[in-house]
Amino acid sequence: MSRASILNAIKKNKPESVPLPEIDLSLFQEDIDLVDIFSKNLESVGGRIVSSNTIEDLDGEIKKRYPNAKHIVSCSNTSQLATISISNETQPHSLESIDLAIIDAQLGVAENGAVWISENNFIVRALPFIANDLVLILSKNAICLHMHDAYNLISKRDRTFGLFLSGPSKTADIEQCLVIGAQGAMSVTVFIV
Amino acid sequence: MPHAKEAELFNNDEAKVNWHDQALWFVRNKRDKAAHTVKGWEELRNLASAIKANVLSNLDDYLIQFEENAQKNGIHIHWAADAEAHNKIIHDILLKNNVKMVVKSKSMLTEECHLNPYLEAHGIEVIDTDLGERIVQLAKEPPSHIVLPAIHKTKEEVDVLFQKHLGTIPSNGDPQYLTNEARKHLRDKFLKADAAITGVNFAIAETGGFVVCTNEGNADMGVHLAKVHIASMGIEKIIPQEKHLGVFLRLLARSATGQPITTYSSHFNKPTEGKEMHIIIVDNGRTEQLGREHFRSSLNCIRCGACMNTCPIYRRSGGHSYKATIPGPIGSILSPGMDLKKHGSLPFASTLCGSCSDVCPVKINIHEQLYQWRQIITKDVKQPIVKKTVLKIAGRVLANSKLYGFFGKSARFMLKHLPKSVINSQTNTWGKARDLPKVENENFEDWYKKRKS
Ligand code: SF4
Repeated sequence: MSRASILNAIKKNKPESVPLPEIDLSLFQEDIDLVDIFSKNLESVGGRIVSSNTIEDLDGEIKKRYPNAKHIVSCSNTSQLATISISNETQPHSLESIDLAIIDAQLGVAENGAVWISENNFIVRALPFIANDLVLILSKNAICLHMHDAYNLISKRDRTFGLFLSGPSKTADIEQCLVIGAQGAMSVTVFIV
Repeated sequence: MPHAKEAELFNNDEAKVNWHDQALWFVRNKRDKAAHTVKGWEELRNLASAIKANVLSNLDDYLIQFEENAQKNGIHIHWAADAEAHNKIIHDILLKNNVKMVVKSKSMLTEECHLNPYLEAHGIEVIDTDLGERIVQLAKEPPSHIVLPAIHKTKEEVDVLFQKHLGTIPSNGDPQYLTNEARKHLRDKFLKADAAITGVNFAIAETGGFVVCTNEGNADMGVHLAKVHIASMGIEKIIPQEKHLGVFLRLLARSATGQPITTYSSHFNKPTEGKEMHIIIVDNGRTEQLGREHFRSSLNCIRCGACMNTCPIYRRSGGHSYKATIPGPIGSILSPGMDLKKHGSLPFASTLCGSCSDVCPVKINIHEQLYQWRQIITKDVKQPIVKKTVLKIAGRVLANSKLYGFFGKSARFMLKHLPKSVINSQTNTWGKARDLPKVENENFEDWYKKRKS
């Protein structure tokens, strides 16, 4: 049996017990403008940001940026642009021609421009990857400093599937030239509200 | 063929070697920039190293804990002692689900196990979906770098390859066009595949979940469309708690490409209703490496590739010259553990400059381990005469400080006065294709003495 033989071999060969270190968060503490740094980092990874206290007409702003989007899925209560509705019965393959998905982000991470989204926010797991473009709606009060804080904030979640997403899909596999839009979303716009 | 001979082949095309060298150095510089913006970067590296040391010392317990928690969440766990067992388990799962075509995202472990040829021999089509991996798969080559699999290919070569296999029109290697064509080609495969295989970047004992990192989104496109998700992981991928991901995800992408984090860091804990999720936990020589005191910390590697990007030998000899799944400095420690005869020349493919150890996010003492392997290999394996004599002389010289001073002087003398034909001779592989450095007259000691007097 592989299991027993592997575990036995480990027992025999492992070094003496070494304690698990504590993470001292004071080492990483910084006093920075979270919204500002988040925005800069998101832009540096190819994402776009719309941030203003004056977003009155969110849907209008989205339409302005994605005027050609026809097949739209919205999983956010703050947008009424949906042309297609989905449920957990929806077959992921049927989302192939979705132009735009609108999803609520739970939190943003200033140090890397990533947002955390989980299955609750987008219902069908394939959605944020298969949609051509992605709009994420993030509250400015939900931006934390770094990944340590982020893991703390999501520690109580119902664990099914979730991800940190930082900007649009990209690759540099052809001669190190950065190309936006590999296999996932071609663009990501985060609306900070 | 020893590494030096393989490197010679790569060096036939000087322009390409120069490009390769520069491209990787550029990535190394991006890594530096990214690291310097993080407050507490060195503390992060220390933490990562200490967490990994704890993991190795409790590896069996963590694996059991991981298994238990994953099973509670409806994930199937399999154990594979070696590559063959791994491949067979995957094949069985695919057979049971009547799978004809499978999409695979990047996984060095499946490369190590030679999964693709195994499945293909059993009539199953395997499509690598990372763009770089798809390129080398179409070219029928192995990846030459663990993060940048096709870094050895020019855009013109990719152009020709895509014309042949994807029916693209000639574009002089336009990366935008070629990537877009690959996107269409791969999308079709994602929609048709019955199963998806991924690697595992981190597996969390505390939760039974695992994390897969990509920039392209190819792993997620595969697994969320297919009915079956199979994830292969080496036993060393375990970390104790979810909060430790905070440490590792801060280090990984910055060390790899200079990005602050990969585009997608996907956390899998439960399969979707009605779908299957499998994890295969693989040994394949790792427990043996765990037993080697001097080399066990090589298992802490998180596969960022930074040691390759910074290595002067790797940059000028190319990943294929190592003839191993994991090339570069870390590969040169891991591979001799798998097959000392075959990979015995690799620990010598290093200047021991230590740059690899300096950039390693989990602080593996890579260059010291390379040195350790040399000690073992020079005892156990017959060495080509040059290396042996050089090492002998070096040993004697280093043991005697007067001789050391003399040899230092005479080496400088020889570099200055011997004709190039002698320096760049058959016995000195490193003199080939390069001129030796301009020699300053004084060494530091002479200069210092003079200044003092
Ligand atoms: S040995 Fe260190 S630097 Fe090299 S790939 Fe592994 S983690 Fe990265």
